[in-house]
Amino acid sequence: MSVLEVLFSGQLLFAALLTASVYAIVAVGLNMTYGTMRLLNVAHGDLVMIGAYAAYWLFTGLGIAPLWSAIVVTLACALLGVLLYSGLLKNLMARAGGTARLEANSLLLFFGLSMIIQNVMVSVETATPRAYQYLSEIHRFGGLSMTGNRLAALAVAILACLAIAAFLRWNIFGLALRAVIERSDAARIVGVNVEQVHKVSLAIGFGAAGLAGVLISMMEQFSPFIGFSMTIAAFIVIILGGLGNIAAGFGAALILGLLETYGVALTSPTLRSVLLYGVFVLTLILLPQGLFRRRLGP
Amino acid sequence: MKLSSAVLWAVLAAIFLYLPFSGSDYLIGIGLSMLMWLALTQSWSVLSSLTGYISLGHVVFYGLGSYLVVVTWQQIPLWLAIIASGILAGLFAFLVGSPVLRVRGPYFVILTFGLAELVKYLLMAAEAYMGISSRLLFGTPDITIIYGIMLVLAVASTVLLEGVHRSRFGHGLKSLRENEEAAETLGVPIARFKRTAFVLSAIIPGMVGAVMALRSTYFEASQAFDPMISINVIVMAIIGGGDSARGPLLGVAFLVLLSELLWVEAPQYYLIILGCLMVLFVVKLPEGLLGWFQNRRRRLMEQKA
Repeated sequence: MSVLEVLFSGQLLFAALLTASVYAIVAVGLNMTYGTMRLLNVAHGDLVMIGAYAAYWLFTGLGIAPLWSAIVVTLACALLGVLLYSGLLKNLMARAGGTARLEANSLLLFFGLSMIIQNVMVSVETATPRAYQYLSEIHRFGGLSMTGNRLAALAVAILACLAIAAFLRWNIFGLALRAVIERSDAARIVGVNVEQVHKVSLAIGFGAAGLAGVLISMMEQFSPFIGFSMTIAAFIVIILGGLGNIAAGFGAALILGLLETYGVALTSPTLRSVLLYGVFVLTLILLPQGLFRRRLGP
Repeated sequence: MKLSSAVLWAVLAAIFLYLPFSGSDYLIGIGLSMLMWLALTQSWSVLSSLTGYISLGHVVFYGLGSYLVVVTWQQIPLWLAIIASGILAGLFAFLVGSPVLRVRGPYFVILTFGLAELVKYLLMAAEAYMGISSRLLFGTPDITIIYGIMLVLAVASTVLLEGVHRSRFGHGLKSLRENEEAAETLGVPIARFKRTAFVLSAIIPGMVGAVMALRSTYFEASQAFDPMISINVIVMAIIGGGDSARGPLLGVAFLVLLSELLWVEAPQYYLIILGCLMVLFVVKLPEGLLGWFQNRRRRLMEQKA
């Protein structure tokens, strides 16, 4: 294929859109937990991995269709978020006091959790990648051909994004959540129950990550180690889009999805990681002010 | 206190000097891996313990050093290649230092990780482009020679950390760890200090990587830049705790023995334990074992008084 053909292929646009919509739901979860609590959860991507395996178990073991198990997995991951908050993070944050050093340490904490999760999964399922066949019939629309599972995944992902956006925009609790992201201490003064907001944002964030995992498992193979690249991608999205800015996050996810899909198509699949980490390092280095303005500002 | 630490270092030196004469390849192997981790962890501490800029990408220097030795193998003298490895790592730190060290807190941690991975994948892509998947080294020196060089590096790393820890420069680093803005207001040249500490902490791991390439006799980018190396270093440092060279010593001894027991048989259990240790020490013992001992001693003294 010539370069122009690559650029104008509808097939690639569809692939980019799909990648972007999955990144968007993973990132919106990371954005909410980071935005409300200032804890950078590098184990976030591992929830995606857990979601993928959960769907795989429910499908191969009990024959439950992934589109149904998506509901169960989302709720279970949300519950996990609530438990993690009550069991560990609440105490940690009460002690932390918000200095930079403890923030760096909290990242190590999540990194440790991530190692535990990944390697427990390796002990349970081995490191061999898994996959299953679900809705794999091919639909054709004009020159485009796509499998049913990809269409379903795209639809669910977009619905989930819209639902979260609507919750934040119109729900009174969504408003409280945005207030905490904006100014945590001021939100407390005007009567927002900040602990409750933390808990809900973890529940939504974890649930969204689990859902993304279910969607990924429908489309491609997965291993216990897919989590970290997911975290990195989500992280790029929230830096590009801006902390706490959910709508811009969707735009940023689209940019990253396009960049990744077209970048790989124009070069070679071996450069996918170079591209991802390259964008990551550059955004972090070039946009440090973008990251910190909100925190240091008046 | 002073006496006990002098005795500690003397006993250690004696043990490590005796090991190569024990004739047991197994013991020399364990000794070598302890010295390697000691050199890496002490050098990591120069930046990360003293300034609080926790690097999760220490392996990048190690990998660059390995690569340089492998590429120049049998083309330049070995001693020159090892020194050049240190210089290359230092140069790399110097070049990326100013942009990277502007990024703070958790961002710095994750950025260093990403940077090391980026270099790894770039090198892998470059090697694949040249049609090379792994490189073999023939005629590498005997293990006792490798051991000897590593002993020198471990001592150098320990002396470096102790030296910086006690110096005016080290106090400057510790002041910016407590409060960067305040330190800057009081005239500590923070940008220059951080960069110098970064370069100092990079040189020895570069040389360690070079020596370990001789030990493994082959090079593969995914192994030489394995992020597990950085993670091990961090866990060793936080188990030990403290700013001085004694903290990492505890962590290194503990983890090397643990990995001897578990790594070959069940690596995933080793990694699970590593993860648990990370969580445990961050949540319960952020000062490390050394800090815990010191606090305990202080409390006992207060009780007596």
